[in-house]
Amino acid sequence: MSTELELLREYIRNETGYDGELDADADLLEGKILDSFNIVELAMFIQDRFEIELEAEDLVRANLSRLSSMLALIERKKAARTS
Amino acid sequence: MLQKFIGPFREFGLGVGLLYSIDRVLQGLSSGLRLYAYEIMVQPITDRPLLPARLRKRLEIREIKQGDPEVQLMPARPEIRESRFKQNAICLGAFQNGQFIGYIWFCFRAYDEDEVRCTFVLHPEPESVFDFDLYIFPEHRLGLAFVGIWSGANEFLSARGIKYTYSRLTRFNVASARAHEHLGWKQVGAAVFLQAWRVELMAATIFPYVHVSFTRNNRARLNLHPHALRRSGA
Repeated sequence: MSTELELLREYIRNETGYDGELDADADLLEGKILDSFNIVELAMFIQDRFEIELEAEDLVRANLSRLSSMLALIERKKAARTS
Repeated sequence: MLQKFIGPFREFGLGVGLLYSIDRVLQGLSSGLRLYAYEIMVQPITDRPLLPARLRKRLEIREIKQGDPEVQLMPARPEIRESRFKQNAICLGAFQNGQFIGYIWFCFRAYDEDEVRCTFVLHPEPESVFDFDLYIFPEHRLGLAFVGIWSGANEFLSARGIKYTYSRLTRFNVASARAHEHLGWKQVGAAVFLQAWRVELMAATIFPYVHVSFTRNNRARLNLHPHALRRSGA
């Protein structure tokens, strides 16, 4: 299990108070675990914690609704940074 | 069938679930019967940006005026849009990379509710507005739009000396309540309206507490004060 995944789970649990399962492929918006404000705060956390820069265009459902899609976004941004 | 019955109670709790179920039954009986349950909220206007500068740079918030092309894109009936401008309401639109992504309306001094016969009177008058009909186009929901609109609205209103915005929330809209909690809103009161064809009965936690209306022009007037925010220290 990746460290990034665990960090994201821990952050979401701390911020939202949600204590149930956080499956990597579960839709957290559909499940009402995250809302619009959480998304912005989560994006700020991802920027700071993983030292990547997110643009407004990155903050879309396709990138932030699932833990697996967040991880993919982090990987893409890291790859872009090093290329 | 059982799931349909217990669903509202599971989602809203016992009291609001019951109101929701009554409204559904009334609607099923006649189009002239409705029950509206509102929470009336107050929210502080802050000059602190809600979005970091980096995320704000492609987001523009500007006033939409009567006759602007964006008015035609709003999913409200033309007469409703006209009545808002007649009330001297202002509309702030949000644009991301130039694309219209959502909007919010504000009224000064008082707001004439269009679902029920009620006028919300705002206090203190020079520092208060009433916000309503925050709309985000579906393809932009759950992105930056909601926070962006409020970030821009705060900036616009605080520059005009506004400290409080009131709103009414239908008690059946749990998602909206949750999102607004981040903005520091507090409850001012609650009101229930029962519409039975031409008659409308109001019961509220705010003076005059009860009101019966038999005509369109006979409206309940609810005076709103920001005491709930002051008590919480906001």
